[in-house]
Amino acid sequence: MTWISHLFNRYWRNVHFISIALLSLLLLVGGGNVRGVVSSVLVQVFYSPFHIIKSTAVDLSMVNGENQRLHLKLAEVTTELGRLEELRRENSRLRAVLGFEPPSGYSMLPARVISVSGDRVPIAAVINRGTEDSIVVDLPLINEQGLIGKVVSVGPHTATVQLLTDPTHRVAVRVAESREMGIVKFRLDGGLILDNFPIQGTLAEGDLILSSGLGGIYPPGLVVGTVARVERPEEEPFCKIQLTPAASFNSLEELFILRAVAP
Amino acid sequence: MRAIPYLIYLFCVAMWVVIWRDVTSIFGVTVNVPALFVLGVALYKEEMTTVWFGFLVGLVMGAAMPAKLGWLAISTAALALAGYHVKERINMDSMWAKVSMVAGGVLIHNIVILLVVQPAGFLTLLWSSALPGTVYTTLVGWLFLLVKEGVVTWKKIKAIF
Repeated sequence: MTWISHLFNRYWRNVHFISIALLSLLLLVGGGNVRGVVSSVLVQVFYSPFHIIKSTAVDLSMVNGENQRLHLKLAEVTTELGRLEELRRENSRLRAVLGFEPPSGYSMLPARVISVSGDRVPIAAVINRGTEDSIVVDLPLINEQGLIGKVVSVGPHTATVQLLTDPTHRVAVRVAESREMGIVKFRLDGGLILDNFPIQGTLAEGDLILSSGLGGIYPPGLVVGTVARVERPEEEPFCKIQLTPAASFNSLEELFILRAVAP
Repeated sequence: MRAIPYLIYLFCVAMWVVIWRDVTSIFGVTVNVPALFVLGVALYKEEMTTVWFGFLVGLVMGAAMPAKLGWLAISTAALALAGYHVKERINMDSMWAKVSMVAGGVLIHNIVILLVVQPAGFLTLLWSSALPGTVYTTLVGWLFLLVKEGVVTWKKIKAIF
């Protein structure tokens, strides 16, 4: 055995070379099966872990890209949804307005509210109609809910409207049932009130308050509000009457300017 | 235990083939990392280690191409043997000698790979791929040698700033 070991030690270098040469030869001429087996083992051992890492990274990158794309799409769809919801509301508002008739002897010119001003409550609004549309001062404005106010100044393409909620604004009214009269005004601390209504007058909560037409600006019969609360103090000549406005002044959009039609 | 570093090198070669080859390519020109590993081992290790390592690197390189497996194994083993003998016969003390050896070895290996893998269009690929790849690989090898030889150290880099 010693001589074999001695021989191996003497020629170990050649043994290595011959081994490598034989293995290479086997791979070169060994046919597809040998190469296939060696290749699949090498791929499984050396390549597979990195394939998994790479495909995971690629998947994550794709998911990230897809996520960003979907976020963008979601933002677009949400915006579109908001726009459609706005259109739906406008549509239902306009449907409500569709069957709305002006008072007798008046025509209606539709107008859109451009801006509303006022600190605690809206007291004035700017509309998109002006002298170009034959708008003049003191024309009354209504919407499908009721009386809104009157024009106080006019520009070529816009006009400013004094709203019913302006504390300096007064409207001559009468109770729809009893036909008794009073003055409606707005107080910042008390809301819409009916003033100058005698204590012995006939009035109940829920009564409809209409414009009387006596002020010369508003035609008779426009809905101003309904009676919300009535107090009759014994020592005073007038009732304390709180009204609920017919129109919602916090959501003004489409209004109608009333113009007298020549007989 | 002595085989573990070489096993890690082989995994590095596989990682380069699977992940980094495409990522680090510039206009289709890639770094020949297997040749760099083989020549690096040839520069610093013994003959048999180098040759066996070259053979195994050739196998790992060609794992995805069974038809070329034998050719890649034997050519890479031959590169390892040639690199080792060049180092033994030429004075390799200077950095430029080492870089020249790397450049020469990588060029020969790139040419052999072209002949083995894509013999059709050899001349075109020689100019468009093998030669630029040799320059790219030599630059990377030079950076590796700068670090390996201690010319560039973390301490020196920090001293610059």
